[in-house]
Amino acid sequence: MSIVDLTSMGEAQAQLRTEINERLARLQDEISDYCFQCAKCTSGCEAHKLLELEPHKIVALLKRGLIDEMVNSDVIWTCMSCFKCRERCPQKVAPVEILFALKNMAVASGKQIPGKYTAMLQSILSIGLLQDVQSVTTHDNKMVKRDDLGLPAVSKPMDAAKFQMVLSKLAIEKV
Amino acid sequence: MSNKLGVFVCHCGINISSTVDVDQLVKYASNLDGVVVSKDYKYMCSDIGANLIKDSIKKYKLDGVVIACCSPRMHEHTFRGVVETGGVNAFNLEIANIREQCSWAHDDKERATEKAEALVRGAVAKARLLEPLEAAKIKVTPEALVIGGGIAGIQASLDLADGGHKVYLVEKTPSIGGRMAQLDKTFPTLDCSSCILTPKMMEVANHPDIELLSYSEVVGVEGSVGNYKIRIKKKPRYVDVEKCTGCGDCVEACRLKDRITSEFNMGMGKRSAIYIPFPQAIPLKCTVDPDHCLMLTRGKCGTGPLCVEACEADAIDFKQKEEEVEIDVGAIVVTTGYDVLDPSSLYEYGYARSNDVITTLEMERLISSSGPTGGEILCPSSGEKPKSITFILCVGSRDETECNWCCRIGCMSALKQVYLLKEKLGNDVEINVCYTDIRSFGKGYEEFYRKIRGMKTNFFRGRPSEVRNAKDHLSIDIFDTTTNKLFEITTDLVVLVPALVPRADADEFARVLHVSQSGDGFFLEAHPKLRPMDTFTGGIFIAGCCQGPKDIQDTVSMASGAASRAATILSKNELEAEPQVACVDEDACSACGVCISVCTYNAIELVKEDDGKSHAKVDEALCKGCGACVGACPSGAMQQRGFKDKQILPMVEETI
Amino acid sequence: MKKYALYPGCVMSTEQYAYEMSVRESLPLLGVELIDLQGFSCCGEPLKSVNQLLTLYLSARNLAIAEKQKLDVFAPCAMCHLALSECKWVLGKNADMKKRMNEMLATEDLKYEGTSKLVHTVDLLHDHIGIEEIKKHVTKPLKGVKLATHYGCHIIRPSEIGRPVDSEHPMKMERILEALGAETAEYPEKLDCCGALLQINLDESALTKSGQKLKAVQEHGFDGLVDVCPWCHKMFDARQTKAGETVAAKLDLPVFYLTQLLGLAFGIDKKKLGLELNLSPVDNIKLGGK
Repeated sequence: MSIVDLTSMGEAQAQLRTEINERLARLQDEISDYCFQCAKCTSGCEAHKLLELEPHKIVALLKRGLIDEMVNSDVIWTCMSCFKCRERCPQKVAPVEILFALKNMAVASGKQIPGKYTAMLQSILSIGLLQDVQSVTTHDNKMVKRDDLGLPAVSKPMDAAKFQMVLSKLAIEKV
Repeated sequence: MSNKLGVFVCHCGINISSTVDVDQLVKYASNLDGVVVSKDYKYMCSDIGANLIKDSIKKYKLDGVVIACCSPRMHEHTFRGVVETGGVNAFNLEIANIREQCSWAHDDKERATEKAEALVRGAVAKARLLEPLEAAKIKVTPEALVIGGGIAGIQASLDLADGGHKVYLVEKTPSIGGRMAQLDKTFPTLDCSSCILTPKMMEVANHPDIELLSYSEVVGVEGSVGNYKIRIKKKPRYVDVEKCTGCGDCVEACRLKDRITSEFNMGMGKRSAIYIPFPQAIPLKCTVDPDHCLMLTRGKCGTGPLCVEACEADAIDFKQKEEEVEIDVGAIVVTTGYDVLDPSSLYEYGYARSNDVITTLEMERLISSSGPTGGEILCPSSGEKPKSITFILCVGSRDETECNWCCRIGCMSALKQVYLLKEKLGNDVEINVCYTDIRSFGKGYEEFYRKIRGMKTNFFRGRPSEVRNAKDHLSIDIFDTTTNKLFEITTDLVVLVPALVPRADADEFARVLHVSQSGDGFFLEAHPKLRPMDTFTGGIFIAGCCQGPKDIQDTVSMASGAASRAATILSKNELEAEPQVACVDEDACSACGVCISVCTYNAIELVKEDDGKSHAKVDEALCKGCGACVGACPSGAMQQRGFKDKQILPMVEETI
Repeated sequence: MKKYALYPGCVMSTEQYAYEMSVRESLPLLGVELIDLQGFSCCGEPLKSVNQLLTLYLSARNLAIAEKQKLDVFAPCAMCHLALSECKWVLGKNADMKKRMNEMLATEDLKYEGTSKLVHTVDLLHDHIGIEEIKKHVTKPLKGVKLATHYGCHIIRPSEIGRPVDSEHPMKMERILEALGAETAEYPEKLDCCGALLQINLDESALTKSGQKLKAVQEHGFDGLVDVCPWCHKMFDARQTKAGETVAAKLDLPVFYLTQLLGLAFGIDKKKLGLELNLSPVDNIKLGGK
């Protein structure tokens, strides 16, 4: 017995679906199964008008087990984490968290990560922060440094080696 | 005491026999002390099973019966009848639950059979010690109480009264009629609601066997089935109803005319401090609002109350006081109705932010010709006719964060309003309906839905995320799953279809009635399929929306059903009391009174005998056999018939 | 003086200095002592898309650092506050995850118990310090100024894990601004997102989101916009011109951190509050301070 999606000729990836649902159950209470496609999430989605993200469709595809289609897509990276979908869903489903799971899956599968994520990750590994201390421009076009403003030195991990060790191990583990 | 027991083991199809070895159990039972015969059958609750038991009683001259089967909650009552017919006292019967507590709870056949043997062993030990019991008779008060004067209460009252029973109908507000009086038309027939309601209201008013206590509240319910003592608080109208003609001159004259929010108009309009809730009110008498009337809140009204001046019948009486009356009834039908969810809790839909976001009940008052706008559809903020109206269904319904149930009438009442609005505003008015599902389940409902689809209504399948205030209109983004497109709706008036919820005082009132509530707060029926109008409290029945949301036809059906259920009690002169009640060994009782302090049914009192000694005494009609007093009694003088210590302790020992 | 460990996060420490300056200047006047701890790292929230385990660990370690000093945590950045809140919530519910985290934290000589409480600027001011106390220190009320509030997304949602402000009708900033003498008003776009996270991979869309919001606020006639998060502020203030270009609007809206306005109302010098670092036209409004 089989169910085949005729547009992609894909069948349900039950194992991946279970993996995602179990991860969601560990992190919060929402279960995607209860979605009844009212699309309240998409109606209010901050990324929908500009970038065509359809959170309710993400949930529907997850329910059908059509995971690869989403993991390989660009649209999952358009979510801006506003959490409106999770807040307003009448069935306590959280499309935003499903998207995080799909993005994590894309990274773990070796797919190329878009934008500056890689650079941010590397910066954190080396100095513990997203970026190094910047010089900024004032109103009247002067350049100032953090020190010039009388602010104390920035807090960073003290034992860089231990920090990097834990992070390197973690970076390849799954939730 | 029995020493000739019969043990009957049921297979329950394969429910029991697939896990418990019935043959082994039968053989085991036949070897127990006191057991003279042990048999089995596939369905002991069937006619053949019953005959097997009756024939065995006769053949083996049994004086006690043990049945190993399903939970006593299922068939104990039936089997008692069988045993009694067979010639053994109904209470020389013990049931061993080897289904719910054995075969349905376990997989291991060997150990389940062992457990079943233990359960039967215990049951037999108890059965040996059971005593025959006779049910006491309770005289029934042949009158009924109906609480709540909406259509459910009206229907139940008429059915009971037409059946020859006297009915007290108590209604909390100044008039009967309930929610139906607030509606303009009803779906799917588009009958004028008042037109079909008022004849029934008139019937109630004129019925010789219905005593209407309006503007009154039930504050105390004591007693048990067949014998309830009800305390009713009659609130003062400050108007002598004998003199008041309902002419309404006082309403016109009132100093606070059009200043007080009208509850009947769901806050869409105003009234005076002295008022008649709606034109067809029954009784058609005025009532003074004690929370706003200047005479009652401040002790003076200008240079003198204008209502008194205007009243030609001299009917106004500010000296009236609250009265409490007590009545005796045999059965109670509860028909207290529902409230509508306040959509302010879904702030995103703008109910609290904009006057142009209203509920369906508020829209119903706008549509109604007796409403605050005389039936004209006007936007509350501008007073102008709307060019576009948008309905949002399921506001707070089917929502795990608000009410997880379906309100059942939301779809149909929205469709009905679409029809009425198109009729009033003409075909040019744009009407949008945002729905999650359209539930048009009843007779004629689907046809009605088809009609509305044919009226150029814009249906959008989806729930909007929010309603935004824009400069001179409201704006709604909705993703329509039928076209997979996001639409921006610009609209003048938004109608929210809110969840139906229990009355605000349902929790408190349930306690007054000694009635349970289901998880959603509505009153709990004894069984959703087979006993929907009964409660777990004998003699108290529920009907209409106080049990759960439903439309008018289901409400009326249920009300007639509840009346019929109540009538089965009222038409009897006597009822049989459950004999497994508490009883006192008067010699052992030291009159410490602990039992009285734990009895929630006030069924125990201390009595003094002629020799000066006091002891506890149980009123068997009030006793519910809960056993709390038995557990509390320090001396063991309090026992429960059918569950005495000397019967249970051997059962425990034998089972283990 | 109530002590809090100041958890600054990356953006405030490395770029949005005005927020840090105004926080350090104004809060001590209200009885708050800010302790600077060593060893902090990024909270990990921007990396949630890469590996949520990393985010949980980074947040757990920062909380553990504060716990070690028996201090509650004040996180002025809304995104950091969300990361730390979610970490507390998940580790509070899931004993296995907590154990897993602690096993890794042990490598850094840290342990997470969940004893440190967490506040953000808005609830620190409104709930813990209180409006009455704030009013006492106002010497130069912000008169005749109508301000729009921008709460952003992360201090209002998801309410399930507990947020400092209500998710649908947040009013705490309005109460604070009114205590400072300013006028506030509701507007339909109040809860709209600034889009800052999209700077990572879809920068033009981020600018569009911010541009649209700024345009709406300006069209409603507000004198200025107030925010409480360095991600939002960077979009609305530093990148206002670019945002305007992206949505083809001429944007000219003063944008302030709440704590900058707090400081101004308390009579603190403009320079100390980092006002020269605001790139939006803050001088359009005449506000107190030297």
